[in-house]
Amino acid sequence: MKWSRIKTISTKEWLEIWRDKLYLAMAFLIPVIMMVVLGFGMSMDVEKIPFVAIDYDKTEQSRDYLHNFSDSRYFDYQGMAANEKQAESMMDQNKIRFILIIPPGFQEKLQAGKKVQSQSLIDGLFTYQSKVVKGYVLAINANYNQQLLQNWFAKKQGMKPSDISAMLSPVSLETRYLYNEQMSSLWSTGSGMIMLVMLMAPALLTALGVVREKESGSIFNIYASTVTRTEFILGKLLPYIAISFLNLLVLTWMALVLFGVPFKGDPVLYLVASVLFVSCATGIGLFVSILVKTQASAALITLLGTMIPGMMFSGLLMPVSSMDTPAKIEAHLLPGMYELNIVWGSFLKGQGWSDLWGNMAILALYSMVLWGLAIWKFKKRVAS
Amino acid sequence: MSLIIEVNKLCKCYKNIEAIKSVSLSIKPGEIYGLIGPDGSGKSSLMKVIAGVLSYKSGQLNVFGQRVDSEASAEIIKAKIGFMPQGLGLNLYPELSIDENINFFADLRDVPLAEREERKALLMTMMQLTDFRHRAMKNLSGGMKQKLGLICTLIHKPELVILDEPTTGVDPVSRRDFWQILSYMVRHEKMTALVSTSYMDEAERFHTLSLFYQGKILAQGEPDQILDSIQGWVALVHSQALFVCVQALSTQFTQVNIFGKAIRVVAYDISREDFEHQLKSILARCPKSHYQIESIDLEDAFIGLLRPKNKDQTVKPALDATKPNSIFDTNTLMIEAQNLTRQFGTFTAVDQVSFSVQSGQIFGLLGANGAGKSTVIKMLTGLLKPSKGKGQVSGADLNSSGQKIKENIGYMSQSFSLYADLTVVENLKLYGQIYAVPKKKLAKRIQWALQMGTLEQETHTLVGSLPMGLRQRLALGCALLHEPKVLFLDEPTSGIDPIGRQQFWTILVTLAKQSGVAILITTHYMSEAEHCDQLALMQAGKVIAQGSPTNLRQQVSDALGDVISMKVNQPYAALELLKKAHYDKAFLFGKRVHLFSSQVAQTQKKVLALLHQQAIEVLDVQHLPPTLEDVFVHFLESNKIQPTANLKPKESSSL
Repeated sequence: MKWSRIKTISTKEWLEIWRDKLYLAMAFLIPVIMMVVLGFGMSMDVEKIPFVAIDYDKTEQSRDYLHNFSDSRYFDYQGMAANEKQAESMMDQNKIRFILIIPPGFQEKLQAGKKVQSQSLIDGLFTYQSKVVKGYVLAINANYNQQLLQNWFAKKQGMKPSDISAMLSPVSLETRYLYNEQMSSLWSTGSGMIMLVMLMAPALLTALGVVREKESGSIFNIYASTVTRTEFILGKLLPYIAISFLNLLVLTWMALVLFGVPFKGDPVLYLVASVLFVSCATGIGLFVSILVKTQASAALITLLGTMIPGMMFSGLLMPVSSMDTPAKIEAHLLPGMYELNIVWGSFLKGQGWSDLWGNMAILALYSMVLWGLAIWKFKKRVAS
Repeated sequence: MSLIIEVNKLCKCYKNIEAIKSVSLSIKPGEIYGLIGPDGSGKSSLMKVIAGVLSYKSGQLNVFGQRVDSEASAEIIKAKIGFMPQGLGLNLYPELSIDENINFFADLRDVPLAEREERKALLMTMMQLTDFRHRAMKNLSGGMKQKLGLICTLIHKPELVILDEPTTGVDPVSRRDFWQILSYMVRHEKMTALVSTSYMDEAERFHTLSLFYQGKILAQGEPDQILDSIQGWVALVHSQALFVCVQALSTQFTQVNIFGKAIRVVAYDISREDFEHQLKSILARCPKSHYQIESIDLEDAFIGLLRPKNKDQTVKPALDATKPNSIFDTNTLMIEAQNLTRQFGTFTAVDQVSFSVQSGQIFGLLGANGAGKSTVIKMLTGLLKPSKGKGQVSGADLNSSGQKIKENIGYMSQSFSLYADLTVVENLKLYGQIYAVPKKKLAKRIQWALQMGTLEQETHTLVGSLPMGLRQRLALGCALLHEPKVLFLDEPTSGIDPIGRQQFWTILVTLAKQSGVAILITTHYMSEAEHCDQLALMQAGKVIAQGSPTNLRQQVSDALGDVISMKVNQPYAALELLKKAHYDKAFLFGKRVHLFSSQVAQTQKKVLALLHQQAIEVLDVQHLPPTLEDVFVHFLESNKIQPTANLKPKESSSL
């Protein structure tokens, strides 16, 4: 193995990337764009649900009830609708997700100590969101009921509100979220996105870089020369690893500044792990590029092959521990999960070497296997 | 003398397709060995196999005495080989400059820095690229790309160079330079060269050659030997009654073609006396005719070699003499271009081009890749607006009636634009509907197209599985369904075998001469230009000469004289001697030396004496008229147009 030949190939590769403005833009802009779009776009928070109310009662009491909804940060009050028909047409046009209907005689019945029934219509197309909305609605409604009860007791018995509260719900439950104290989905998806983007982008870039030479025919320069397979692959990959590592630093900065994610772990560990992961991701691209012949197929296979496992089987959307067995096996076979452990461990959990070294070892092993396979599968004397 | 390359019964398969079928050849040190054949005949595969970058199925291959049968054994020979794959400049790096490209190849081959700089300087001077060394490769002209490719292949002083179609689509001046440089390198660096080409007229450049067809070698040997092995004669017949004459000749001879105003008759396996006798007796029936007999060229030889196998496959839309040829008015102006100019940004692709084509005329636009031929066609077909100038196509003005033009013309593009997943008939139907041919008429027209292209046997074959020649005729049929009076053909014959090309031309001549279709055709095959009535030679967007082939040739003959071609036993020594004696227009063609002279007899005497003094044996002497390539080179040089600068913003790199 001659370092001079590796350097020759790396230099040429870098010059080509640098001069081809389209490719250069792709190399540096795509990860950033993906980070912004997916980071904000994949937020699972259910907040500011647009809704309208139909108030057939129009009394002080009904307005009071409505205020409990419109004041909540989970709902975005869009105003009053005259009737169900008008409200439903707004729902049809996707302008609102939820309708609150207050029946006539709301105040009258309540004051008479009778039971009233209000109604909420929730858009059921987005099942997860709908369930969350239902939970909010029930909670607000229960809260209102308790308020009414408190007021009634206060009026009748002359008791202090705090005593009434202690009597009505003696056990109070205190919940505190660990790692992501504010329950901001930006914290978890925002930092987790580093894993997804840095799995896809380096793989894509590398696959295109190698297949490009096959398509243009310049790969024959390599085939016909005395450069060894290892020299070629190392020389070819080094620029892509460097670019990807740079990108990873940019994305990390974005997570810290743009998404405001805290970093609680060991920066050195994080940087070492990043190099390993980037080598792993370029290895995936390299391996794909050895198997296919056109840039179109390389792009398609790499994108599908990294995006779907990266999203579904890494623990990004659903914890690996709650997956069924086949999915769990799949998650353990792919590198995404290990990197996600490292990213979340470093950013949110503040874990160190003792917790994360296993994940790092697997990433290192993974890239060695991929690179080895690629070098072994790369032939300088081909069949077609 | 040990052999550089020994190929023995080599076979190569791609899945189920046999690309090379038991090929054997051997190449001696210092030879320029040629592989000639159409696209897909197995040339490229063989070259890759020899370069050690492609595996093969069976047979033996020795390169430099080393058996090459595995990746490991192939590695051993690679240091001594320079390989340039097919496709001009495709193996170079477009974003890198000339300098950087060369450095990359040199460093890849471990050439020490000092040696690299020295050799780079030498090669760049020789190829006249020094002034452009910092220009990015993507901004070079075809000829410059070819030269750069050659430098990159030669930078590590290989003992064997393998060059796959290095001259395809390159302008004639660059082509001539290429051959000069190659023979210089072969001689001075004791190199051996294996070169492929699809131009038959380049055959005489080789010392030894193999003719390839469908994965097999048809013939092997020195160019002269191959020609001698096939006894055949060509007669050029001129007659007042062209069509009567063609009809009469067709009864006796199978190969009768119209070349402009002449008839070209080829006969095989016959003595010159018998041929002349037969010819005389037929021509007795044709008024005012005269003829002239020559020996066949390699393209004829190729057809002659294939002839026995293709007896029943010939296209026979021979001219019908009973039909008067005056059903159209030959003086109708069908295509007219006046100072057509097209600019792309600051780059002028077409610069004040003017010509006209009448009905029944075949007009050839000749030039290298990037000369502006396709842009002219795009303007004339209404696909592209001219920046300046005007023109008309069958009465419709270029600047105002693009749509009307499209309705009146047939257009066949470089890539044929057929649908590979549809059958022959489905393609025809589709095109008929696109051109809005009425349903009743369409059935008749499809029948006509099938018959014209001899495609009756293939109506339900998928186009993807048709051979190139048939595909080409189908594309022509598609372009003619709506009976256009003007036909545009953009490089319709690239890479097609000589028989296919000949059949195609037979159809075109019939269309022009019998139906009065005005045909504008572009090509970079110099030999094809002979079929045209009128030619325009294009270079760097300009028309540098115009006229009939005979007329253009005459102009060069008048200016430079004719060619004396001498076969000598020491070609390199002979050339050097002549150059020293200030015969600047002396060129090497394999084992022959060509020399222009306006006083043939006198010069020949002097030269023969000169060679005799140095004990160089002259084996035979021929006098040749200038070829169209000579014509092209002459007009380029007298116009002082350098085929170098090309700053056209090329299509951005593929992603």
